[in-house]
Amino acid sequence: MRSLLSFLPLIIPSVLVSATEYHEQLNLRPLPLSALLASFNFRANTSIADFEAQNFRLFPRSLGQILQYAGTRELHLRFTLGRWDAESWGTRPWDGTKEGGTGVELWAWLDAETDQEADEKWLTLTNALSGLFCASLNFIDGTRTIRPVVSFQPEGDHPNTTLDNTRLLHGVLPHEVVCTENLTPFLKMLPCKGKAGIASLLDGHKLFDASFQSMAIDVRPICPSEGECVLQLEQTVDMVLDVDRSKRPHDNPIPRPPPGRDLICDTSKPYHKPDDACFPVDHLRGQEWTLSQIFGRTMKGTCPLTDSETPPVCVHIPSTRDIFSSEGAHEIKYPNDDSLRCYHIEQEKEFTLILTKPEVPADGEAASLGIVKPETPVLYAERSFTGHGQEHGGVQAILTNPGDDTVEFVYMESLPWFMRVYLHTLSARISGSSPNTNTTTEIVKQIYYRPALDRARGTQLELLVSIPPHCTVFLTYDFEKSILRYTEYPPDANRGFDVAAAVITTLEPKAMNIRTTSLLLYLPTPDFSMPYNVIIFTSTTIALAFGGLYNILVRRMVGANEAPSGALKDKVLGFVAKLKKKKTAVAAVAAGGSATPATGKTEAK
Amino acid sequence: MASGESGQPQVSGDSAPAAPSPTLPPPEKPSAVRQRSYVVLSFWLVVLLLGLPIWWKTTAIYRAELPLDRMLKWADGKACRPVFPLQISIQADSLQEQEAQNLIRLTQHALDDLNDFSGHHLRLQLAPRNAPLPRDDFQTALTIRLKPGTSSSASLNQESAVLDITYPPNHVPSLTSPSSPLASYITNELRATFAEEQSIISYLLSTSSMSTGVRPQGLSAEAAEALSKRTTRSLRYAPTYHLTFSLFTDNALPNTWDIEAALDEYIRPMLEVLRPIHNFTIDTQVQLYAIPGVQSQVLSKDHLSSFINAAEWPLSPSIGKAPTVNFVIYIGNQTVGLDAEAETSRSWMIPQWGTVYLLSLPDTESHVSTAALKQPMLTFGGHLLTLMGTPQSGSLPLRLSTLGRIRSTDLLLRASSTLGSLARLSLALPSISIPRSVADGVSKTMHHLELACADLGGPEGLMHARIAEEEAERAFFEKSMVGQLYFPDEHKIAVYLPLLGPVFVPLIMGLINEVKKLIKEAKQKALDARTKKQQ
Repeated sequence: MRSLLSFLPLIIPSVLVSATEYHEQLNLRPLPLSALLASFNFRANTSIADFEAQNFRLFPRSLGQILQYAGTRELHLRFTLGRWDAESWGTRPWDGTKEGGTGVELWAWLDAETDQEADEKWLTLTNALSGLFCASLNFIDGTRTIRPVVSFQPEGDHPNTTLDNTRLLHGVLPHEVVCTENLTPFLKMLPCKGKAGIASLLDGHKLFDASFQSMAIDVRPICPSEGECVLQLEQTVDMVLDVDRSKRPHDNPIPRPPPGRDLICDTSKPYHKPDDACFPVDHLRGQEWTLSQIFGRTMKGTCPLTDSETPPVCVHIPSTRDIFSSEGAHEIKYPNDDSLRCYHIEQEKEFTLILTKPEVPADGEAASLGIVKPETPVLYAERSFTGHGQEHGGVQAILTNPGDDTVEFVYMESLPWFMRVYLHTLSARISGSSPNTNTTTEIVKQIYYRPALDRARGTQLELLVSIPPHCTVFLTYDFEKSILRYTEYPPDANRGFDVAAAVITTLEPKAMNIRTTSLLLYLPTPDFSMPYNVIIFTSTTIALAFGGLYNILVRRMVGANEAPSGALKDKVLGFVAKLKKKKTAVAAVAAGGSATPATGKTEAK
Repeated sequence: MASGESGQPQVSGDSAPAAPSPTLPPPEKPSAVRQRSYVVLSFWLVVLLLGLPIWWKTTAIYRAELPLDRMLKWADGKACRPVFPLQISIQADSLQEQEAQNLIRLTQHALDDLNDFSGHHLRLQLAPRNAPLPRDDFQTALTIRLKPGTSSSASLNQESAVLDITYPPNHVPSLTSPSSPLASYITNELRATFAEEQSIISYLLSTSSMSTGVRPQGLSAEAAEALSKRTTRSLRYAPTYHLTFSLFTDNALPNTWDIEAALDEYIRPMLEVLRPIHNFTIDTQVQLYAIPGVQSQVLSKDHLSSFINAAEWPLSPSIGKAPTVNFVIYIGNQTVGLDAEAETSRSWMIPQWGTVYLLSLPDTESHVSTAALKQPMLTFGGHLLTLMGTPQSGSLPLRLSTLGRIRSTDLLLRASSTLGSLARLSLALPSISIPRSVADGVSKTMHHLELACADLGGPEGLMHARIAEEEAERAFFEKSMVGQLYFPDEHKIAVYLPLLGPVFVPLIMGLINEVKKLIKEAKQKALDARTKKQQ
């Protein structure tokens, strides 16, 4: 009751500012082994009227102006690094809707009557965002842009009339390396910067040291059933930290094996001998950390703008584990979900959480890890290159449905133009069935295919696929590698060319997104000193042919004994003879001169 | 034929003493010798007539024709003499027609006598009787309303470009008198009104290369310095300016402000007045946790330049073509301490950038009200006029019409000097390519410059000057010209030498042999002729 009363004055002001509001939350979810998922979510609303009058308060001015200038209705931008290990980490955070393929991914709905207008606005948008986020987004040109048909649906509430006049464009830069310079502008867009609230935990060193990290920016209009429409900016950071690595001290970052007596051994192994043979079961020990250890800094209170109903920090962990929070924080437990604990924090105070060691289970039982078991995802997806040689190749996607329901999804590929896809080789077969049985038409229901144009646009391939329960499907197609022009190769041509991740959007049994890893395509690469070699080689050939021809035409042919001896030859011979004479004279003098000191030396000895 | 035969024994005679060869080749047929000459000649003809032109054509850089003379003429100010005929209409409804005409004639005389700057010309005319006051009319720079009164007095109307002059009845000139106190009074008032404009324009002309014939007379050193300060402070001309109003605070409070109301009350009316010359767009933002670049309580003059924390504060120029003017309110109790005065100020202007205002509020205040914004907004309004380059004296309508003329002059001068720079650049860098678009831009610029020059001071003139300036800038900053390809000579050698070296050595050797033979023949002929003569 007391706690409820103390909340009342906090709730009232948040009711007053309904059109513009701000909300932030950090969700911590320990994962198997020593991984820890930290999801930061920041949401700022601004009323459409304020946005159109360019009165920015919670919404960043820089982004707002870009959106208005480029006529953007809805924007999604992703910066992703690393790979989500679905086998051990389970379902993706936010069902995969807030992550992109490796590198940078951008899709937006633009106001445009024609495709050409859309392209112009897209160019403006990518160039402006490139400056804002210090990323090479301006390299998203026509060859990297596609117009997805079924994969993406607008998330915001758009009136039907405006949606008819918008175009969806999607661009991806798999080669881009996401780094600190992208985080800084991201933090600057938050109303409290990185100075207060959960954003004060975000540190570039830790974020980009994570096993997987994804930064997302979504702008969408939201129209509640009553009240005016608002424009919502949602910024999300998901990172999977390796707790062991994060806990290593800054000044001593090299991992060292623990001494033998500290090892936890599996005593059930037959070869187990104390102090001699040990099968370590460290990873079964369970996590133990403090908030400041894993993020490298403490949390500096809350952002005063945040709406006070949402608790800023939540931890998903079984209720059996003990967590201590710093003084002044208020723990909330939810009766319907006993593995969730949230914390209300005082504004100005520093906050930290301490997760203690789990109680040692009796008799070394490895059953309880002290974490919430991750949910099995709806679909597993992997993709790799097949084939060999410099001319032809193939792509194989392995899609596994572990569940009891048929999974229906859209598989989308945005391939570069220099990968010439042979669509007739597209085949899908269920594992176990023989490769000769043609099951493609049963599995792939629909195909949307837009072939590439050399140097103008890439291939767009969207497949509607459905996989029966407990089945693995192999989706394969072949392609041909084209040879690029000399100037089209990047400086590090031998590294290969990145091929963007495939985007999988599931429709049944529930909507979610999965992205495969990006691929590295090796193209035939010439030797780049070749042009000069060619110049010299052809020049020499031409000169030889020309010289021979010309000499035959101009010179007079005479018998060998009739040839006049050349004056030049005589001169050279005379010079050589002179030189020889001189040399012998000098040598004689030198021999005489050097003899004396040498003898002197030996005498002194 | 004869030379071939006579040449042969000469050769054998030469080589015989050096190396006595046992056998000599048989003498060559004259037709073979001639054929060899033709071969050498035809090879060289192919090289010179076919190879060289092709090489020249394929490696030449495209340079569009530029009217360099006329461009330099514009830059030197020889193409246009900036003249501002200012129409001043006089409403003298209380005077007789004849008297009024006489008064105008006398005043015009007095003005012409005193005028030292021919470009700035005031022309008087009598307004039709009982005509309504002209509003926002570029044709008439100023209207003088004459009214009888008890003593001579003049006052500028704050609403429109009108100068009200009252005069005692006895000052009206009679039809015959050569001078009149009223006429000289009007003359002085007019000169005082336009003094600043005149000095600014003559300063602009004198600093540019167009100064031929215009001496900034009556412009003292201090006045010139003040004017140069003013011109460096003001922003470059643009048809649209973007105004950004930002509220910065170093903690989380205050985080709301009544900016929309404050803008409506204090800023928008002023922008409405400026609309004939400039358009404005406005945006506002609130930024919390902004730490200034200087942390001290009293800011000295040196601190002011680093107070804006450019790396952290999101004050990037707005997207689009319009230049951004920043108005920053910083919530804090710092004060600006100036050395000279004991009193402290709360705001300062950053040239060509905007204004910072330090607003102190109680720590717990979470909202900035319209009342608190009044003083900052008024300061911003004043500073905006200065940043636009508006003159300081006179009534607002008069200042604005002056601004239009100053801007036209400025743009005209800028466009001309850009043309001059482009002409000099194309002369100085012969290897730079000049695409067709540059030539088009130059011709457009000159066309609009001529139109602008013909109608300086009017709205048309301003428009043409603006287009001319834009085109000139576009031509000067043409992308393909700026990115001049650097191709070092070593590379040229590396490309040419492998081919040209081996090919040219036999060609040149053949030519040398042939020339040697010709010389020898000529000598032999002369020798033969001489021996014949002696015989």
